[in-house]
Amino acid sequence: MTNKEEKKGADDRRDFLKKAALSVAAAGTAAVASKSASADEALDTSGTGYRVTDHVKAFYKSARF
Amino acid sequence: MTSAAVEQSVTSADILPEDMLRADMYGFLASLLRGEPSDELLNTVVSIKGDPSAIGSASSVLATLASKLSGDEVRDEYVRLFIGVGRGELLPYASFYLTGFLNDKPLADLRNDMAQMKIERVDGVKDPEDHIASLFDIMSGMIRGAFGAPTDLAAQARFFKKHIEPWAPLLMQDIEAAKSAVFYAPVGTIGRAFMDIESAAFDMGEAG
Repeated sequence: MTNKEEKKGADDRRDFLKKAALSVAAAGTAAVASKSASADEALDTSGTGYRVTDHVKAFYKSARF
Repeated sequence: MTSAAVEQSVTSADILPEDMLRADMYGFLASLLRGEPSDELLNTVVSIKGDPSAIGSASSVLATLASKLSGDEVRDEYVRLFIGVGRGELLPYASFYLTGFLNDKPLADLRNDMAQMKIERVDGVKDPEDHIASLFDIMSGMIRGAFGAPTDLAAQARFFKKHIEPWAPLLMQDIEAAKSAVFYAPVGTIGRAFMDIESAAFDMGEAG
């Protein structure tokens, strides 16, 4: 695979995604996504939340009195 | 991973706008599928504006339903669909869809991959990791770099093709067609259309 071909694949993908109109839901969902992100930071355990192991450890360290 | 590596995260400016939209879409679907939706989430859904695309028209239907149905009606529907008494109408787990059994090999494979990516469940979460919402959360996090490091497209594609693509489109169809589904029918439509887009886009990235 040449670099040129690789770039073409990436460009095609970008064009395709641009035309895919994902922005519709995103207009409403950006808020949702950022809200859920902050919920994650607060280590919300009500959902199926996941994060990198070290983040969890860091949280518990900082939460220890 | 050192603490310095943990602190080093990608800012949204480093991520292509198309990829941020993908991350948002995964996050949005995960938030609706993770559990009974809150009034706050449903109020956000009301504000979604549609367009003539498949995702856009299903999004308008979803916004209309969110404005017409009460929060409790939507939450009751979620319970009938995914939790139920004994079990819900649908079991949105990779293992069940791929083998007919919960907690089978697909879950073990996922746990291995998650361990390699250094991702684990938050304490207190009892749901197996192969729930559709957790897989979408992981995709969203990989794209956004929420797990401390950005994940390149090739690794995203590997995760998607192994853990999501083989069964999520079928689940989305089942949600669309489920007896109990009213609010969740267009969620299934959006999810199915999005899975098609993801499959096609990953293939293009590879074809290059």
